[in-house]
Amino acid sequence: MLDYILIQALNGLVIGVIYAVIAAGLTVIFSILKIVNFAHGEVYMMGGYFGFFAIALLGIPPFASVIVAMLLSFALSVLFERTLLTPLYSPTTERKGDYGILVTFGISILLRNLAIILFGPFPLRPPSFFSGSFSAGPILMSWDRIFAAGAGVVMLVGLLLFLSRSAWGQALNAVSQSRESAAIVGINDRLVYTLAFGLGGGLAGGAGALVGPIYALSPSMGLVPDTQAFAIVILGGMGSVGGSIIAGLLIGVSEGLFVALFPDPSRSLAYAQAFSLLVLMVVLLFRPTGFFGRAHAAME
Amino acid sequence: MRSGNLAGLGCILLVALVFPFLVDTYWQTVGILAIFYAIVAASWALLVGYAGQFSFGHMGFVSLGAYASALLVQWLAIPIPLGMAGAVVLSTIVGAGVGFICLRMRGPYLAIFTMAFSEVLRIVLLTENEVTGGAGGLEVAPLFHTRSNLPSYYLALGLLAASLGIMSLMVASRWGLFFRAIRENEQAAAAGGVRVVRFRVLVFAIASGFAGLAGTFYGPFIGILTPDIGSVDQMGIVVAMAMIGGAESLPAAVLGAFFVEWMYEALRAYGEWRLVIFGALLLLTMRFARNGLLALAWNQAVRVVPAWRRTQPAGGAAE
Amino acid sequence: MAALIEAIGLTMRFGGIVAVRELDLAVNQGELVGLIGPNGSGKTTTINMLTGHLSPAGGRIQLRGERADGLPADRFAMRGVGRTFQITQLFSRMSVLENLLVPGLVRPHSTWDAARRQARLHLEFLGLAALEAAQARTLSGGQQKLLELGRALMLDATILFLDEPFAGVNPYLRDEIIRLVQQLHAQGRTFVVVDHDLEAIQRLVHRLVVMSRGQKIADGTVNAVRDDAEVIRAYAGV
Repeated sequence: MLDYILIQALNGLVIGVIYAVIAAGLTVIFSILKIVNFAHGEVYMMGGYFGFFAIALLGIPPFASVIVAMLLSFALSVLFERTLLTPLYSPTTERKGDYGILVTFGISILLRNLAIILFGPFPLRPPSFFSGSFSAGPILMSWDRIFAAGAGVVMLVGLLLFLSRSAWGQALNAVSQSRESAAIVGINDRLVYTLAFGLGGGLAGGAGALVGPIYALSPSMGLVPDTQAFAIVILGGMGSVGGSIIAGLLIGVSEGLFVALFPDPSRSLAYAQAFSLLVLMVVLLFRPTGFFGRAHAAME
Repeated sequence: MRSGNLAGLGCILLVALVFPFLVDTYWQTVGILAIFYAIVAASWALLVGYAGQFSFGHMGFVSLGAYASALLVQWLAIPIPLGMAGAVVLSTIVGAGVGFICLRMRGPYLAIFTMAFSEVLRIVLLTENEVTGGAGGLEVAPLFHTRSNLPSYYLALGLLAASLGIMSLMVASRWGLFFRAIRENEQAAAAGGVRVVRFRVLVFAIASGFAGLAGTFYGPFIGILTPDIGSVDQMGIVVAMAMIGGAESLPAAVLGAFFVEWMYEALRAYGEWRLVIFGALLLLTMRFARNGLLALAWNQAVRVVPAWRRTQPAGGAAE
Repeated sequence: MAALIEAIGLTMRFGGIVAVRELDLAVNQGELVGLIGPNGSGKTTTINMLTGHLSPAGGRIQLRGERADGLPADRFAMRGVGRTFQITQLFSRMSVLENLLVPGLVRPHSTWDAARRQARLHLEFLGLAALEAAQARTLSGGQQKLLELGRALMLDATILFLDEPFAGVNPYLRDEIIRLVQQLHAQGRTFVVVDHDLEAIQRLVHRLVVMSRGQKIADGTVNAVRDDAEVIRAYAGV
């Protein structure tokens, strides 16, 4: 029994890394564009399919498909940002918060149903990154999961380094703190917004490509990670990338433990989905600013 | 009320009354569904467009009403109208509860929370399939034991008229003013003496009650209920209806519902593409006509009436 | 005689920072009080607590002798406590008249006609009558400040807290605001005015309360306070 719990917790840790990547992307978008991206889960989903088709149509090896997926998701996000999000930067747009919600919600409906048409409603499973499993003692884990966790960690470290060390990363930080001041020092804020939305989408898409071999792809696979990402971002404190990483791992592990410990196995998987939703609702009720968040401006 | 608006509404009412006699049973069903969606869209518009409470959980209340009504009738062997009434009361109370616990939330937080609420409900309904029939569906006894759609149609129309009537009265009264004040600036509303807590809870309760009402009608009419009625995609359809029609006006939301439902059927040949099209339409509307495509068109159209009246020979008083 | 509104040991904390510390402040009926102090001294936080927009972490508020701390802002408003905000808070997309109708209709027995009449009277008084149908957001900054004042008047406010009414206002409008406040005060209303415009404050008020770092450091007539060494230190130290 303990072994089972351990395995579930480890699986949870792996999935937690993935959640952290998704949530980090959402956080980047939120801190810079000041909107909550309801389409994030769908970009994650598209990333998964991008990866699948990169392998199937272009013959790229699986682990390189992740990079292709990230690039294509980046491009897709930039496309949406350029065509639909520009009113957010105009002073004449009213109620920008509402606009952001409705537009990204609309994008999510568009993408999800487009995926049903293009890819069919049935799950697709991309080929494994590395076949076989790793075993040591009681621990048995597929190499795919280990790779996914590892690649996720690489992405997160990359993101953190990018934000703190590179010029563009610092520009992102600057705009997230104050758009006006950033503009005054000559940062092109329009470009930063595009970069931020693209970067967030790229991360989500990469995460999608990583989980493809593990959980299979389906057009509605973005719905649950979407709300989970919200839970994580709010728990970690909206606007804090570090916070969302920690929260992502926490939620992943707790979810694993939930599945392991839930008394009724026939229902545990279904209610595991509800678990993160309930966590989200509880966090919103009691600590809307999360545990690590810096004070942020009202989102309206 | 402006004469243009009055004339337009009169036309629509007339058409609505004789509609079932002009079309075949297939389109009668479409009409009934359109009316169902109209009640949902209008109540959503009240909550979101009018009072500014951004809820994505509305379909959760529709499914709550539908399942509650069906299950009450099933378990307690009570007549359907009684089951419906009970379910409406339940939706209203749960709606008030959600409104209350959401008091500290605004904008996206509220949207996320209500979406999560709706999803949790859907998952529970799906998983507890011994009680609810799960994905296979719950059979619901019909209200009318006749092959004709007419009784259902006129009941639906009556429910819509009653709902719209009550909501419109509310909107025209000082409550409507307070809802708008809360939407515009909650802090200023409080400083102005508006009982923000009371009115936020109230608008949630009312909107959820009407959503539940729509749900209680839906079950017996369709004959089978699935948890999908509370899905995010269904919410998306309602959002599209209200926004395309015009979320800050109840009649506009109703027309939006009619329009989208009509399109849904007219484009039946396009199958899955329909939701893609609605998504795209929603995006276009948000991007270019935020107050609603139809509201825009209506405002242009009703200008025709005063203009026409002005061309009539003099005799009456000026407009 | 009991004070109209009184803060006793009022305290407010934001995270680790104590914004207001053990504040005792009593305002009597008919007074015209200025509340000044360097930035960050807790003036706006104090007003927020005294008008119900913030719940104090410690201490009590007595309104006309009754406990009022913990009540929401709308309850304070209904009990005759009006306020304006540092950054004007109006119903932007509603008309000027509607902005005043909202507070006019909150009382259970109010009627639309009476509220309209009263609103128009106040608009007349404030010089905004011609803008009745305009959307609030189209008004100039100064006009918006006056409209906010109108909102408080519609509540039949007996005590009004004005938060930086002179901020960013041209000298002509400043004089107008001073004149209006003096007129309203002469009609029996009590005022507490927060501002950084010391010249305007001195012209307007009889009593001056100075806050620094969340505490009251002076409370007396304008002359007495002006020469208070601690006050000078507080301002100089900023």
